[in-house]
Amino acid sequence: MGMLEGKVAVVTGAGRGIGRGVALALAGAGAAVVVNDLGVDLHGQDPSASPAGQVVEEIRAAGGRAVANGDSVSEWATAENLIQTAIREFGRIDIVVTCAGILRDRMIFNMSEDDFGSVLAVHLKGTFNCLRHAAPIMREQRCGRIITFASGSGLFGNPGQANYGAAKSGIGGLTKVAARDLGKYGITVNSICPVAATRMTLTEETLKAREIRKQQGIIREEKALAQLEDLKPEDVAPMVVFLASDDAANVNGQFFLCAGGSISLLSQPRAIKTIFKSDAAWTLDELDETVPLTLAEGLVNPAPARQS
Amino acid sequence: MGDRLKEKVAVVTGAGRGIGRGVALLLASEGAAVVVNDLGASVSGEDASATPAEEVVAEIRAAGGSAVANADSVADFAAAENIVGTAVREFGRIDILINVAGILRDRMVFNLSEDDWDAVIAVHLKGTFNTVRHASRHMREQKGGRIVNFSSTSGLYGNSGQANYGAAKDGVAGLTRVVSRDLGKYGITVNAIAPVARTRMTQTVSDAARQARASRGITAGAPATELRMEAEDVAPMVAYLCTAAAKDINGQFFVVRGGVISLLNYPAPARTITKQGRWTPEEIAALFPSTFGMDLVNPAPARD
Repeated sequence: MGMLEGKVAVVTGAGRGIGRGVALALAGAGAAVVVNDLGVDLHGQDPSASPAGQVVEEIRAAGGRAVANGDSVSEWATAENLIQTAIREFGRIDIVVTCAGILRDRMIFNMSEDDFGSVLAVHLKGTFNCLRHAAPIMREQRCGRIITFASGSGLFGNPGQANYGAAKSGIGGLTKVAARDLGKYGITVNSICPVAATRMTLTEETLKAREIRKQQGIIREEKALAQLEDLKPEDVAPMVVFLASDDAANVNGQFFLCAGGSISLLSQPRAIKTIFKSDAAWTLDELDETVPLTLAEGLVNPAPARQS
Repeated sequence: MGDRLKEKVAVVTGAGRGIGRGVALLLASEGAAVVVNDLGASVSGEDASATPAEEVVAEIRAAGGSAVANADSVADFAAAENIVGTAVREFGRIDILINVAGILRDRMVFNLSEDDWDAVIAVHLKGTFNTVRHASRHMREQKGGRIVNFSSTSGLYGNSGQANYGAAKDGVAGLTRVVSRDLGKYGITVNAIAPVARTRMTQTVSDAARQARASRGITAGAPATELRMEAEDVAPMVAYLCTAAAKDINGQFFVVRGGVISLLNYPAPARTITKQGRWTPEEIAALFPSTFGMDLVNPAPARD
């Protein structure tokens, strides 16, 4: 008996990479799965139904239940149809996992309105759309599991990804609020920050940029990141299956960094240094004197000015 | 009055009222010429009026400062370019950009309409991107600049009923962290403030809702000693980040509430479990309670 026997799941972006791994693992644990994928390239172009269809074939061949869906998550109405596909085909919806995403990396000063808008539409609006349409149904059922995908890019700040970092951090905020809006109805909302070798991360540009950043000491690389190629997209799935299971009923509003065989619970935002005046606001004279010795003490500029 | 920002040119969005107004007044009193941007709209983003921005400009000029009003919407890419362009046209450059403009449309997530979502994301997140994107080109040419964005504890900690606002404000946080790295080498700093202040935006959360949350232990009730939280109190830290003294504070987050100013941590792994090869869900389930789960609290436990 699998951990998810009798459950119904929707996985977005499930045609390839991490989403595919999640769909296969959920099905392997007994869930019926709606395999959603537009089948587009990394930038969101050239749709094709085949990636989702192939994953469905794979699940069925292993004795599982699945249907393909090619709706775009970034549209309110098509996202509703995606959630309704689970209801129509399998009678309910217990699990939503939102992996769908695209990339359009540019330095901020060269980023076009469309580069920003399209990345936000798929990641952030897409996650909201799926969550929003599933939430009323899960609220009626008094149970549900929503697992969103955030990213270390937004949390730690990857250069050239203002759009992606904003979208992924936005998903972080959405996850925390939705966890509080929905928790009392027996629904949990958690987030995964995956690190894996996929077509989104193993591009020539990102590998080159990663190397330069490492040499400059600009980013603190997790040791695991150095061997990105060894981190399989399928490695992310077991934690998703756990979060989708009854065992995780009280895990809510949390963020997990998944990289190969390494899983980390991320810290919540905390004030680490505080200066205090009880009776009035600080003046600039006081801040000039106090901040360098307190709040700013030991702070490192992640990208110091270059002398030109 | 001081001269820390003498000959600097600043744009402050949402500067007609509340926190933005306080920032515009303080920057001007330190010698900066200020573009006071405000649509003059209601808290939900409706009924625009030029009056609030013009009143702040009049106040700055009466005190001997230099300012112009601008009523363009930050949410529109082209209009935002004109806000930045106004600084360049009127005062010849742009050194400082402060993004305070924002609206609220609170609803529980299962009732949140597409329009409530889009409108809040457009002003806070797209609006911040728009002004940062346009200003960054000038600042990069100048090899210097200061950007201060406004995030919120709503996204950081998750305020019930604010999925749109929390997403937008955490999105601003992610944008800030990335852009600080994109622009730092050009002598530009990008930081964020999460303010806690008494303004017309915070009055939308009713006392009844606060009490209901406190009674369920989701947020703390009012402490015995009330801390100050006036809108003007946020300005000094913002102005400080714009001064020469703060040239190496970049990519950081500060919560400001009255006389309390805190530096926030960067997210980092708090606990890690590692095995050679792939975990199984069953292994994670077996290990979870004695590792990650030890003191995890469900912020909104299921009601029976």
